[in-house]
Amino acid sequence: MIAGAREGTLSGLRRLAAAAMARDLHAIIVPGPEVARARGLDIESAGLQIAATPRHANVLLLVGPVSRELGDAATVLYAQMMRPRAILSLGTDGTPPPLPQADVAADRSQSGLVDGVNRLRSAFSRGAFRTDVSDFDAPVLRIRIEYTCPMHPEVVQDEPGSCPKCGMTLVPRETSDTAEPHHGMGHDAPAEYTCPMHPEIVQDQPGSCPKCGMNLVPRETSDTAEPHHGMGHDAPAEYTCPMHPEIVQDQPGSCPKCGMNLVPREMQDTAEPHHGMGHDAPAEYTCPMHPEIVQDQPGSCPKCGMNLVPRETSDTAEPHHGMEHDAPAEYTCPMHPEIVQDRPGSCPKCGMNLVPREAGPADEHEHAQGHQGTGMDHGDMDFMSMVEVTKDLPRSPDGLPMDWIEVPFGPFFPGLPGGLLLTLTLDGDGIAKTRVQSLVGGSGALPAPGMGAADFVDHLGATDPLAPVGYRLLACRALEAAAGRSPDEEILRGRIAAVERERIASHLGWLALFARQIGFDRLLRRAASLQLQFLHADMKQVMALKPALQALIERLQRTPLLKSRTAGIGRTVPDPALRGPVARAAGVGDDARSRDKTCSALGFTPASREGGDALARLHVRLDEARHSLALIEAAGVIVPPAPVDIGETSGAGEAVVETPRGMARLQLTLDNGRVSDARLDTPSTHHLDLVAPLLERQELGDGLTTVASLDLSPWEVVQ
Amino acid sequence: MAVITLQTFFIALFGIAALWFGVVVFRTSSMMRSALALLFSQTALGAMFLAMQAEFLGVLQIMMMATEMSIMAIFMVMFMMDPGGLGEMEMTHQKRLSIAAGVIGALAVSGVALFAHWGPVTTVAPAAAEQIRGLGTELLGRSMIIFETAGVTILTAMIAATAVAMPALQRKKTA
Amino acid sequence: MRIAVVLGFLLLGAYLIAVLEAWLATGRLRLAAPGWAAMALLGRESVVPRQPDRLFFETAPVLLLIAALLAAAVLPLAPGLFITNLATGALFVNAALAYVLVALLMAGWGPDGAYALIGGWRFLGQLIAYSMLIVMPITAVAMRAESLLTTDIVASQAGLWNILYQPLGFVLFFLAAMGVAFLPPFDLPSAEGELAGGVTGEYTGVRLAVFRLGRLVLVITLSAATVVFYLGGWLGPVLPPWAWSAVKILAVSAAMLSIGHYLPRIREAHLLAWCWKLGIPLALLNIFIVGILVLVWP
Repeated sequence: MIAGAREGTLSGLRRLAAAAMARDLHAIIVPGPEVARARGLDIESAGLQIAATPRHANVLLLVGPVSRELGDAATVLYAQMMRPRAILSLGTDGTPPPLPQADVAADRSQSGLVDGVNRLRSAFSRGAFRTDVSDFDAPVLRIRIEYTCPMHPEVVQDEPGSCPKCGMTLVPRETSDTAEPHHGMGHDAPAEYTCPMHPEIVQDQPGSCPKCGMNLVPRETSDTAEPHHGMGHDAPAEYTCPMHPEIVQDQPGSCPKCGMNLVPREMQDTAEPHHGMGHDAPAEYTCPMHPEIVQDQPGSCPKCGMNLVPRETSDTAEPHHGMEHDAPAEYTCPMHPEIVQDRPGSCPKCGMNLVPREAGPADEHEHAQGHQGTGMDHGDMDFMSMVEVTKDLPRSPDGLPMDWIEVPFGPFFPGLPGGLLLTLTLDGDGIAKTRVQSLVGGSGALPAPGMGAADFVDHLGATDPLAPVGYRLLACRALEAAAGRSPDEEILRGRIAAVERERIASHLGWLALFARQIGFDRLLRRAASLQLQFLHADMKQVMALKPALQALIERLQRTPLLKSRTAGIGRTVPDPALRGPVARAAGVGDDARSRDKTCSALGFTPASREGGDALARLHVRLDEARHSLALIEAAGVIVPPAPVDIGETSGAGEAVVETPRGMARLQLTLDNGRVSDARLDTPSTHHLDLVAPLLERQELGDGLTTVASLDLSPWEVVQ
Repeated sequence: MAVITLQTFFIALFGIAALWFGVVVFRTSSMMRSALALLFSQTALGAMFLAMQAEFLGVLQIMMMATEMSIMAIFMVMFMMDPGGLGEMEMTHQKRLSIAAGVIGALAVSGVALFAHWGPVTTVAPAAAEQIRGLGTELLGRSMIIFETAGVTILTAMIAATAVAMPALQRKKTA
Repeated sequence: MRIAVVLGFLLLGAYLIAVLEAWLATGRLRLAAPGWAAMALLGRESVVPRQPDRLFFETAPVLLLIAALLAAAVLPLAPGLFITNLATGALFVNAALAYVLVALLMAGWGPDGAYALIGGWRFLGQLIAYSMLIVMPITAVAMRAESLLTTDIVASQAGLWNILYQPLGFVLFFLAAMGVAFLPPFDLPSAEGELAGGVTGEYTGVRLAVFRLGRLVLVITLSAATVVFYLGGWLGPVLPPWAWSAVKILAVSAAMLSIGHYLPRIREAHLLAWCWKLGIPLALLNIFIVGILVLVWP
């Protein structure tokens, strides 16, 4: 029996289909496959295939613990999955509230996973179809239809009608019914108002444009209704009863009034919402002496060498038609040019207010003026084209201005770390704007002051599931620094070996994630399997794995297309904010390990590459994996960091550890053997700020490769 | 006789389909639907050629139009406000002029069809391979090599023009 | 009867390469895997996304399948074993393949989702470029056979297969075929790590099953075209002609499927640049070389 069964009796062909589903399990993993692997779970060998989209998955695999924010996003994923669907939860303390109870729960271990998958298989073959299917609903999924004006996104109302500003018929759109804004985006009151046609007009209050008289639109609004959806997919279609149209629900089922099967509701097709019409026009630069010289950037005049001076873009320089002229003789609809009358009024076709234009045979000047010149001044408002609407927008690298759409990537996007939400404003397939945030980041402070030393080590170790050993070591070192104790030499060496082993596993995990992003199947499988083997390998096993790792590294250096795929992408400049491999790939040789005496004694030299692009970062990580092997070999022993007894001491201490993603710093205060205050600084916090500027104007695929190549861990982001 | 009837039936069927899709081009408000309706109208014309046993022309028409109309679709979507038809935008412009042009065009074509001297009617269509050869000779004749060269030259010129345009764009950006 | 045999062959071939695909994806060889996967898909819900262009959404998978089948219709598997033998056969293959583009464009536009939309437009650029590399090598093949009849093309290779007569054309055609079937590393429209499935991402249940079948038949069709145009079709010693066709087609499909496994996806800019700047000049050169060969060594 599974809660997400499909409606029907389990007989005949359905029994066969249920048996097939039990053999063909595709999982979507929360928070992500990389976290599952870092926790030592081999998903594929347990018989689950990893699906790219919830649409193709029938198992929601929760690898615990799952926070409330992720729970909401996972609920959306669950609703997007096709029934029959089931939830397999590993090591979560019950599923987070909006999700239904897990169909199968097991320990967070490989044996628990295998056991869970087996139970899931029998649950599918016995209960994939049921007659008493109840609908799944949650506040995050509730969809409300609201009506908005295509031209005035700030006009939103619950009832159909016409726009109070322009009189156009409002179009329906869907929005989430929850009062609480999700992930704090897009629902705030707009801060600025700007003219869709004259982006240089910006003011704090609504009003009309002094140039063309159009109503100003708020600048920061997002007209997509679903910034919070996990994978950027729509929730499933609505279902309605053919006989009782008032019955509408999110899921298939039968009508409570007449028992007929509900049918998916067909809706009018809509365009992608139009975004970003209100952006600043880049100023033009022109020569005071030679007005024909106009360019986008400052510089000097090629004719006389004078410095160019900025001026506003051309619309302002040209004479305006419309209001200040004689009373126009004709009124026409902006959308339906054939509607022409001599009085103001509204369009009989779409209800939009008619706009005045100068008298004259419309059919003759329409195309002559439509594509050039004064934009959509009133005199020319009879032909709307993308050329005019986009002419002041910043150009994407291909030079082709297009409609802007806002697309969420994450928090469970294949090829990006789970928990990272990237919201890209796309201009065609070029990236115009980027917002990035972590849904799983911590505050960097201590949750409960007065935590015991052992608890504190466990707490910090749980900060980042992708690098638990590094953070445990950081906690231990800071505690020891505060207490003024130092463990013996062998433990110090063993701890370094443990962190280096984690570095190899983490870099392999990154390789697997990166391989998924760039569609390199073979690398994904090799790196993932090596990562799992390195994760808890002892000294002997590490040495046994050495040839396999070296073979992988050598093969990567010979792979065709890999260089062209990564070279020149996401180039960073040397910057003090950069940490770890990202910094070392940009030629900054900074590495916390070179200041560590034990590490230096083991013969450590930091890796360094020039270029600062994705290729250099790949090479640095490969070099580091090799160096780490050498360090483990030199250390000769692996000792996982365990808290030392610090007694009842008080004091303050600071420690740094070079985690796989770069240097993390912890400052803490001890009060009678208990931690009273702690401050954490992590590499991904700094790297998160790199994303938006790096992605600007990149092609979508290159942009995503850039993000993946930074190896962000959303877990360690301090917010 | 039955063959001829069947043939006539298919010619009529595809002809009507071509006309209907042609009407759909202007009846929808979505740019994408409009472009693809035009594609299927042209494909129906290609099918008419096939029904008329003009195999080469039919296949050529069907092949060329798929790519051409898809390209048109992307340009329509790129350069039009409201490509999805959200605001129920009209597909017709310059109505009086286009109606006049349409009527004159239709009259001219019908006139040519009815009054031109088409030569003797063949009862049996030549074999398809023969048609290809005949078509080639008819179109290109002794100038075959010149046309071939011109074709390649045009292609090269197109690619070269694009290549030349690109650095200019970049110069403008980086200047 | 002939039609049934050819269709049966195509479906069997599609099943076998599905086994291979699952083998590459999971690392385990299970002969029944595609059968179970298909059954599971048929038993699963199939919903239409909200606010779709429903006509396009529903038509796209079917059109993909039809386009692939039409292209296969003119490819002979053995003497006399074909659905139809058009005098314009070689051209017809390309005409049918052009509708793969239309199908994917519809699949991209239909669901009203950004990932699918970008996937659809990406494929437009990809196919316009790579269909040139389909049709130009075919031209060279037809020049040698002095016929567009696919059976004549096979017969023209009796002395020397085209893969040896015009190796450049073979390489271009093979790569372009992978591009048309959007197989990795050319899988930009359906990229998993970039677009979460792209054009296929919104298809579920029965519709997804049809889409995947269409894609598999397309791979078989393109392999069959490669075999007919370059690998001597059914020609070969000892084995009966149909067996030679089967062996060659499966070998080419296996090569097409496994190459992408070992390579990262090509960047979009490179994909287009290599085609227009390198592929097309080479295709012209190929035509030129074959023209000279045909004249001096008839």
